[in-house]
Amino acid sequence: MRESGFPRAVALAGALGLAGTFGSGGALAAGEVTISHYFTGELGRAGLEEIFGNFREATGVTVKDSPIGHEDFKTGILVRAAGGNLPDVFSYWAGARTQFVADAGNLGAIDEMWAARGLDAVVAKSVADGATMYNGARYLVPFGYHYAGMFYNTKVMAEAGVTEFPTTWEGFLTLCADLEARGVTPIALGSKNRWPAQFWFDYLLLRTAGPGYRAKLMAGEAAYTDDEVKAAMGLWRDLADAGYFAPNANADDWTDASDKVARGDAAMTLMGTWITGYWGGNGLKAGEDYDFFEFPAITPGVPNAVVGPVDGLLISGNAANRANAEELVAFLVSDKASQATWAKAQGALSPNVGVDEGIYTSVMKRALEAIGNADTFAFNYDLATTPPMAEHGLSMFARFMDDPSGYEGYLADTEEGAKEVFGK
Amino acid sequence: MKRQALFWRVALLALPLSVFGCFVVWPLLDSFYYSFTDWNGFDPRYRFVGADNFVKVATDRLFTNATLNTVIWMVLALLLPTLGGLGLALLLDSQVRGANVFKSVFYLPICLSAVVVGQIWVWIYQPDWGLLNTVIGTVTGEPATFAWLARPQSALYSVIVAWSWQQMGLSMVIFLAGLTAIPSDLLEAAAIEGATRWQRTRYVVLPLLRPATVVVVALSVINSLKGFDILYIMTGGGPFHSSDTLAMHMYNESFKKYKMGYGSAISVILFLLTLIIVFIYFRQLRKLDELHG
Repeated sequence: MRESGFPRAVALAGALGLAGTFGSGGALAAGEVTISHYFTGELGRAGLEEIFGNFREATGVTVKDSPIGHEDFKTGILVRAAGGNLPDVFSYWAGARTQFVADAGNLGAIDEMWAARGLDAVVAKSVADGATMYNGARYLVPFGYHYAGMFYNTKVMAEAGVTEFPTTWEGFLTLCADLEARGVTPIALGSKNRWPAQFWFDYLLLRTAGPGYRAKLMAGEAAYTDDEVKAAMGLWRDLADAGYFAPNANADDWTDASDKVARGDAAMTLMGTWITGYWGGNGLKAGEDYDFFEFPAITPGVPNAVVGPVDGLLISGNAANRANAEELVAFLVSDKASQATWAKAQGALSPNVGVDEGIYTSVMKRALEAIGNADTFAFNYDLATTPPMAEHGLSMFARFMDDPSGYEGYLADTEEGAKEVFGK
Repeated sequence: MKRQALFWRVALLALPLSVFGCFVVWPLLDSFYYSFTDWNGFDPRYRFVGADNFVKVATDRLFTNATLNTVIWMVLALLLPTLGGLGLALLLDSQVRGANVFKSVFYLPICLSAVVVGQIWVWIYQPDWGLLNTVIGTVTGEPATFAWLARPQSALYSVIVAWSWQQMGLSMVIFLAGLTAIPSDLLEAAAIEGATRWQRTRYVVLPLLRPATVVVVALSVINSLKGFDILYIMTGGGPFHSSDTLAMHMYNESFKKYKMGYGSAISVILFLLTLIIVFIYFRQLRKLDELHG
């Protein structure tokens, strides 16, 4: 084993020309704290500005933030980690991605701060249990979380005469067939950036093989060539073969697919609750213009799982302003006004149990209810398996959307990747 | 006097050399070093794996695919801007009305950044309302919805077209400069001898354009090797690696799959390939120089 530090940082920054992009993480005044995050959308940024303003008022500490686009953030933050140049605080996704950074020793544990500030009484247990602990220590403070469901255009559904929404797979197929017969494209999917397709894989596998099997697959203890995975992909292929997906899924990103549903070009899309923030920003009203139903059950007796990500906040292992960093992350989850602002701006659910449910729209209240009724809250695919494995899987989903007929071959290729990643 | 000159040479070269050393030579040597490790890119712990990364390249189908795409990219990114630029230059040199306006218009894309050009062409290729499909739909009378950047068979070529569109203006300007340098009496003499327009172009103009062609080819080769940004913007190597070049594959392996050691091995191979191309090119250039004095 070798250790290395600064030379690698220079090498990476120099090779990629990224040095100027990120600036420096050190030498700050005592009343400041640095944060980097991926909330670059107009509403998210406006919400955060307000929240950071609240924090400054409450503590006198100024937040210096550097937002980076969602996809670039995934790479950029690890480049900063490599150079020992992480900001004091950074947003990150709970699950395998945080595990990956924790394994490399880049994070500062927050057990003492968590206990001192009584966050056990603040953060919902269902979120805290699965999202905050890594390698026996607590690292992540949840900031918001989401639920993935089948969001639809209410007017399109009403015009198609749909009054009841399916709870079974057969019912779902009937709904798609009815919409198709009326000339409405049933499903929009924007898989240009690959990840939106993962929710289909997640739910189909969870509803057929169950959360236990899926957890094994995510950990490399089951194979992508197993019958369970083939069966789930087979159902997905049946939908694609029936023409229920809008064409050219790989040409659209998730907002394009959301726009198609909003315009009525398609009836529904399987997406996270952040879509409510996006649609809300475009003037659509929850309940009036859009709503959602839960992904239907498929195999009887399989535990009911819901899927979604938890947006968290991490403190870097070498934070220059450790005390301010702890102050900030504790404030961001504890301050109810800030949590309410965030929930509205981002279409997120608050992990803070004290936040009044009255802040939510009718749609978000039902999302919360769906999570409450579920047996398991599972992280979506690219947060449930390791980032290198997720790369293989996400590419497989995009490949599938291009030509579903070859899915068994794609699964075999993905399993080859899994063997390498997990050393099987 | 001599000492003072030496002092100034050292003083003036110190800054650029130290920047070059720090940001080019050092990372380069570091890449060689990490290509023999299994470093994941951010974990301080890693192991030496000998030549394993280089051996793995031989069985990596994505590497083979990226190599093939790189060859396609280099050949087309050399041919299309060169031929297109030559065609435009010949056309605009023949006293077309409004030639100066056209020259400016065709040169304009080179002033734009690759990000802007990439975004423009993403719009042009958009399947539902993009310019290209709209034009095709209008001409054929059938709705056109082909997703140029989202289909594996067309993604790479679509990016190359966008790239060539931008680079063509530069080639055109260099060829135009070359054309202006051709003495008109040679063309007149050829015309008096009965040479057709095509024969004048083929036997007089093109041979005399050789110096301009050398410059255009040199720039095209160098620019095509740098062509990462537009690909990153337009397809990111997708869909599912179908437009990956070696540079993109290196990026994906290093920063998306967190295999910095393996990514470094790919970058070393890419570096050596580039070195060979540059070596061949400069040798040819020297031969030409000797030939033409």
